[in-house]
Amino acid sequence: MKILYSWLSDFIENPPSPEEAAAKLGRIGLKVEELHRTGAAFTGVCVGRIEKIDRHPNADKLSLVDVNDGKGVMRVVCGAKNIAVGQLIPFAKVGAMLAEGELKKARIRGVESEGMICSAGELGLEGYDNSGILVLPADAPLGADAMTLFPKADHALEVEMLPNQGYCLSHYALARELCVFYGLKLKEAPVFQGEARGEAVPVEIKVPDLCPRYGAVVMKGVKGARTPEWMAARLRAMGSNPKGNLLIDGSNYVMYELGQPTHCFDVAKLGGPKIIVRRALPGEMLKTLDGQDLKLDPGMMVIADASRPAALAGVMGGADTAVSDDTDMILIESARFHAPTVRQASKTTGLKSESSYRFERGTDPELPLKAARRLAALILEAAPGARVEQISDNCPVKYRPPVIEVAPARINAILGTGIADGEIEACLKALQPRLRDGKPWQFEAPSYRQDIEMINDVAEEVARYIGYDVIPPVTRMPMLPSAVTPQWTAAAELKQGLAALGFSEVYNYDFVSAKELKVCGAAPETALEVKNPLSSDFQYLRPALLPGLLKTLRYNLNRGRETVLVFEAGTAYARRDGGKAEEVYCAGLMYGEYPEGGSWRGGAAKADFYHLKGVLARLFSGKGGFRYEKPRKAPAYYQPGLCLEMKLGGSCAGYLGKLSREAAAAADLKDDAVFLFEVPLSCLAQAGKTEFWQKVVKVKPVSQFPQSWRDLSVVLDEKHEWGELERSFSGVQDLASARLVDVYKGKNIPAGQRSLTVRFTFSSMEKTLNDAEVGARMTAIQDKLARSFGAKLRA
Amino acid sequence: MNATEWKEKLSAIRDSFSASITQKPAENPEALELRFLGRKGELALLLRDLKDIPLEERKPLGALGNTAKQEFEAKLAELKGAAPAAGPAAAPGLDLTLPGAPLPKGGLHPLTHVMNRLAEAFLKLGFTMADGPLVEDDYHNFEALNFPPFHPARDMQDTFYVDAKDQSGKFMLLRTHTSPVQVRSMEKAEPPLRVFHTGRVFRSEAVDASHSFAFHQIEGLYVDKGVSMADLKWTADAFMKDLFGSGVKTRFNPSYFPFVEPGAEVDMSCVFCKSGSGRCPVCKGTGWLELMGAGMVHPNVLKGCNYDPEKWSGFAFGGGIERFAMLLYGISDMRMLYENDLRVLKQVG
Repeated sequence: MKILYSWLSDFIENPPSPEEAAAKLGRIGLKVEELHRTGAAFTGVCVGRIEKIDRHPNADKLSLVDVNDGKGVMRVVCGAKNIAVGQLIPFAKVGAMLAEGELKKARIRGVESEGMICSAGELGLEGYDNSGILVLPADAPLGADAMTLFPKADHALEVEMLPNQGYCLSHYALARELCVFYGLKLKEAPVFQGEARGEAVPVEIKVPDLCPRYGAVVMKGVKGARTPEWMAARLRAMGSNPKGNLLIDGSNYVMYELGQPTHCFDVAKLGGPKIIVRRALPGEMLKTLDGQDLKLDPGMMVIADASRPAALAGVMGGADTAVSDDTDMILIESARFHAPTVRQASKTTGLKSESSYRFERGTDPELPLKAARRLAALILEAAPGARVEQISDNCPVKYRPPVIEVAPARINAILGTGIADGEIEACLKALQPRLRDGKPWQFEAPSYRQDIEMINDVAEEVARYIGYDVIPPVTRMPMLPSAVTPQWTAAAELKQGLAALGFSEVYNYDFVSAKELKVCGAAPETALEVKNPLSSDFQYLRPALLPGLLKTLRYNLNRGRETVLVFEAGTAYARRDGGKAEEVYCAGLMYGEYPEGGSWRGGAAKADFYHLKGVLARLFSGKGGFRYEKPRKAPAYYQPGLCLEMKLGGSCAGYLGKLSREAAAAADLKDDAVFLFEVPLSCLAQAGKTEFWQKVVKVKPVSQFPQSWRDLSVVLDEKHEWGELERSFSGVQDLASARLVDVYKGKNIPAGQRSLTVRFTFSSMEKTLNDAEVGARMTAIQDKLARSFGAKLRA
Repeated sequence: MNATEWKEKLSAIRDSFSASITQKPAENPEALELRFLGRKGELALLLRDLKDIPLEERKPLGALGNTAKQEFEAKLAELKGAAPAAGPAAAPGLDLTLPGAPLPKGGLHPLTHVMNRLAEAFLKLGFTMADGPLVEDDYHNFEALNFPPFHPARDMQDTFYVDAKDQSGKFMLLRTHTSPVQVRSMEKAEPPLRVFHTGRVFRSEAVDASHSFAFHQIEGLYVDKGVSMADLKWTADAFMKDLFGSGVKTRFNPSYFPFVEPGAEVDMSCVFCKSGSGRCPVCKGTGWLELMGAGMVHPNVLKGCNYDPEKWSGFAFGGGIERFAMLLYGISDMRMLYENDLRVLKQVG
């Protein structure tokens, strides 16, 4: 919220400087995000006219300018490019006080300058073009003091307002905060003190719960009440656009000043005339001040006349009963409305106003009459013919603040402090001068502080009053054991493994488009849809991490990268039985050469399925019960026949494989040599649930004797997979390992067959195996391979 | 001869070569040269045998043979003595400036690095990790945290809704902060309780240099008998010192979050400038960085979780992880964290 320093100062005796006020507000939780000077604060500058421009004899970038100040012509040196003959400009004579200080006589490159043509910055003006000299409007009077062309010097404070600070939404309220918390003396704004007889316009409140108070001041003879310039200037500085009609501008002025929204009805246009505060009837219509036709519902409160709604209570007035320049008799409404009802009406209609903003945050129950009287005073000042006809205060529900029992020990227990009773009492008294002596104090918060409801709220006030630094950083917290979640451990292991294997972790958004949903092979009815997406690119929650990975791939390929090895750990979403399901995955892809970068010695290759399988073998090494299976139902974006399912302890541990051609095409990839994997973390977390000591692999003893090895090359039908052969080796005596070292097809090998070379390593725990013993074991293997697979020794 | 046999033979030649040059006294280098590298030397004959091996397999074997030849030559030159018998210059040694073998190098995302570090700091202070869903219900995200329906505090957190309903028939939402995990943790366990959580949150906001519709937060909660704001201040201070060094100071300022009272904003003294210089771009010359929100758990929140506020009290604090990451890595535009440009990510590693 914007606060003008001059306006704030109206309510404080001996106000602090702007900088000091900003610092003081910050310390009590009212953060001043910006503090800047506004208006003009210079002297000795007049309106001058450029008569002639010559080049400076000794400098290309400078000019010699003849300036007429209305009395004579002076020659100045000027460096600006935007000067032109005939321009009116702010001309500072020697001795002028400018933003940077006093202007002194100067010789610039050998030429004496008798003054200076000023830029906005040099004049200390903010919010003007500062790229060259400031060109004044053509109708500025030559020779006049340039100060008169600009608003008066002031400061503007931009104060961040938190949702609980409804009690701070005006100049008076912030002045009050400074006074309460820093012991300054608060000054009041002049209000109309008189009384009025009669009730020209009766007020009936049908919903006292929603409208506990309705103040109405009726005035006659207000026609022609114009907004005084000082008020218009302040409203302009607030960013409001004054209309010139005091009935409108004055209402805004009082809101910015006191925080109470008011509204003026044209009594001549009110049916009855009468005011009825009630719920809207279903389907009732209201044309608002800004020209919208609103359809109302009974969730909303309206101010109605005898026949129809005249305003959406707390949000906006109606066009039909609005004041105009012809209005002569008005009813000033100054009420208190139920905050959630105003907010709901504002949300439902999409109408937001300065008024609804304040009502939503709760207004001071004791403020309505004061604000109405203030507006009356302002109108009477500008329209001496006006008179007050009626002052009515309908208050069906009187505000009673909660009584909070404040024991000093309780405050100190919450804050962890040892604040003396006297200091606590001083704070309570500053907030509530009527506080009665006697501990525990029975504290009633002032009416404007409805946010103070319980002892914790009072503790905060005490801390604000003394300063939060009063809280010492000390603790007597007992030890408590701490742990991480199994899923965190699982994710951390996978991430570190992948990073070590050359993969970079990426973070993508959870939102995907309908097209990306299709790439995932997910039907829209199985995905969670965002009801209020930022755009159609972000319409669904991702059913898999794939779209983000493909986006990352494309992004980096488009920037000249040839190899992309990435992974992400994140949530995938689905719709289940009308509700939702979430599952955290670690997924990744590889594209390009592996390892990345190649070498002058060779050794890198285009990444393929077996590279990826090697990566996963490494990630899962040491995990008991890990194996691959032919997938029964792999996600659609894997190419059939080029995909494996991973199993861990019998449950699915994800998939690896090649990106399907369809998915590659749909993702606008030219090359489909993209290899993917995904691992649901829950399966790893499940496996990780056993305690650390149980998880650790027991070490097997190794042989003391030398090992022997033999290579065997066999030729066999291609239909026999390596996996089958591998399984057949189990049970061979003393076999320590059987490693595939070569696979060959082609010349010298019959069509439909292939040669496999396997290195068998034997090791006995009892002795060194001799040639004959190793040979016997190899013969057994050969026989088995011949029997089971028809394998022949390769010639 | 097939490839395997060829390789075995090469290996045997290597063995006998290295035996010959290491034995004491060493054999005459000239004789060795003739025996292994000569026209009818062992290696030359073996290389000739390559012609019997299928073309596809021949190439790698040839390379192996050549490597061996070079090695043998180098070893023999060494044996002949450092000073060359003749010739203008010594054969150059290995060019040690050639790059090493390209072993794979990937890395963790900056946000993961920061989250890991923050988690570590929490664990050291005895906080246990807690978890919660990203698609939340209105109760846990708002109501239980003392955001009543139609309360303006809800404006602080523009919310994405999804087309699935919770048990009470309300549309579910993407959690706008990590604080629902406070409620879920208290619902699950009896006090005392000291937990933390890191994770992703969502706000319906336009993306710019300092805003994102998805970002990450960290959250800590401690509930016990007699917990005070002094405990909170000590913890926040210890947390900051763990992350930024023992020299940093922390400061509390009044602030507001519906689920705490009293509420505070936690500032840390700027570690990026000599405070008072007035020109630090990070703290804008104020000497302080706003890093976290904090406060005493609101009695309404405790009550909602069936914790008696007369008996138990607690504190909570938390902050945005992107803010930490941007400060630490010197990133000025939050979008960089979600673009996944490998030229950026590879720098972090």
